[in-house]
Amino acid sequence: MLDTFREVVTPEGVVLQLRAAGPVPRALAWLIDVAIRMGVLVAAGSVFAVLGRAGAGFYLIALFLVWWFYPVVFEVLWKGCTPGKRALNLRVISGNGGPLGWQAAFTRDLLRVVDMLPLFYATGLVSCLLDPWGRRLGDMVANTLVVHDAPPRALIEATAAPPIASTVVLRQHEQAALIAFAERGPRQSLARQIELANLAEPLTGLRGEAGVHQLYGLANGLLGRNE
Amino acid sequence: MKQELFVQRYKHEWDAFEHWLNVRGESAKDARSTRRQWHGLGDTEIPARYRRLCQQLALARRRGYSPVLVERLQLLMQRGHTLLYRTPAPRWRRLAMFLLAGFPRLVREERFCMTLSALLFWLPVAAIFIATQYRPELSSALFDASTLHKFEAMYDPHDAAHALGRGSETDLAMFGFYIWNNISIGFKTFASGLLAGIGAVVVLLTNGVMIGGVAGHLQAIGSGDPFWRFVAGHSPFELTAIVIAGGAGLRLGLNLMAPGQRRRVDALIDGGRRGALLCAGVLVMLLIAAFIEAFWSSIGWMPAGVKYSVSALLWLSVGWWLWRGGRNAAFDGTAGEGATR
Repeated sequence: MLDTFREVVTPEGVVLQLRAAGPVPRALAWLIDVAIRMGVLVAAGSVFAVLGRAGAGFYLIALFLVWWFYPVVFEVLWKGCTPGKRALNLRVISGNGGPLGWQAAFTRDLLRVVDMLPLFYATGLVSCLLDPWGRRLGDMVANTLVVHDAPPRALIEATAAPPIASTVVLRQHEQAALIAFAERGPRQSLARQIELANLAEPLTGLRGEAGVHQLYGLANGLLGRNE
Repeated sequence: MKQELFVQRYKHEWDAFEHWLNVRGESAKDARSTRRQWHGLGDTEIPARYRRLCQQLALARRRGYSPVLVERLQLLMQRGHTLLYRTPAPRWRRLAMFLLAGFPRLVREERFCMTLSALLFWLPVAAIFIATQYRPELSSALFDASTLHKFEAMYDPHDAAHALGRGSETDLAMFGFYIWNNISIGFKTFASGLLAGIGAVVVLLTNGVMIGGVAGHLQAIGSGDPFWRFVAGHSPFELTAIVIAGGAGLRLGLNLMAPGQRRRVDALIDGGRRGALLCAGVLVMLLIAAFIEAFWSSIGWMPAGVKYSVSALLWLSVGWWLWRGGRNAAFDGTAGEGATR
């Protein structure tokens, strides 16, 4: 329940890692959407009020569309985002990691009725907290997920340093840690880099800035860089 | 292979793939119209490139390359996956095919739930209607006095100029009201089925008792004629749609309670899929019903004979549609939904 990383195996046999969204960002997104829907309805109400008694009919049709189809239309046509979800960087996707279809979007929208019971999405909240994917009941029945949308990032190059061959055989996760340090280190303060490098003193035999450079060198050696 | 060499060797592939996604992956329509101006990676190569990327991602993970690299490959792969596995755009032809063939087939496939739902709705209607003929005071137990008075005013047989079935609202206002109110009830009937089917049962029984009560009361006090003239037109679509929505809800509830040899969640997903399709049909039926109810049923001067003949015709066509729709061999395989279990 604490780990929100979930894995979906695609037909190509590769694991897709998804970050399931919890109840708080979803509730915030919902609040934004409610505000937008209210705004649209108030605007529609004042426009249709001009039309007199027939306007009431148009208003009720607008109410019907906004109430039932606002999430469906946005989620299908706008890559799984309603405006609220876009603001919170959330996205609804199909349970297999693919994009959402009309039918799944409609199902999860219909079952909102049950999730809203008895008050303030209580059922949905309980379901969201119990489920490891953070799904509400409608998500389970429609086989959909709400995930955090990861922003695209450029490939960060590891810090260049004269490569040093390691005298000790490092295990795979240790190698990964060293390379990650070389990639992410320069974005941290020097004090933090030194603090981290000091932890690796048993490996480098050095402390302080020299240790940092030694680690960068080892990482470059592991990456297979030449002079 | 060391990471550096791996990146060096394949980086241009990833960049080309990413560039293609950025330029041509957004909309299929734009991609088609700009086909001639595009000189990068060919569209037909994309699936192969995507599979290659998947393999490279798997290799990168297995070999423990840095998280930054793996994350970049995963993002690319996820975008490719989203693109390749997107659901086809809806087509008008398929929609028409669904309404004519797929929907009736789906209803017939769920005949057990539909029959159950029809019984849950029609038995209380009949029982309350008959009961109020013998004990007219029963209606005051079901409705309070002001509600009864409102119903009586709506169907006053001595006020021929008055539109049937409403107060002073216009046709258009009532059309909006029927859409909002009736379709919401239909959708809620289905959705409440998730509460172990109890929700759908309660909605069906309540609606049955209410409708039976109103009909029985008005018949008993002698306002039967305007009432029947009003409901005759739209009832074929409206009542059938409510029964179908209830049946879809019961299917969902049954799948939750007795999933059979499936995981419970898989049974629910199947119930939800069928339910959503049935609800799409219910939506169309209730739209037709709302239209008839607002613009046809309320016409007060129409002789009873015309109203009842139209009603009979509509009942027959709804029945024929649900019973025969999609049985034609021409629809086999094309209807898609509802064709196979």
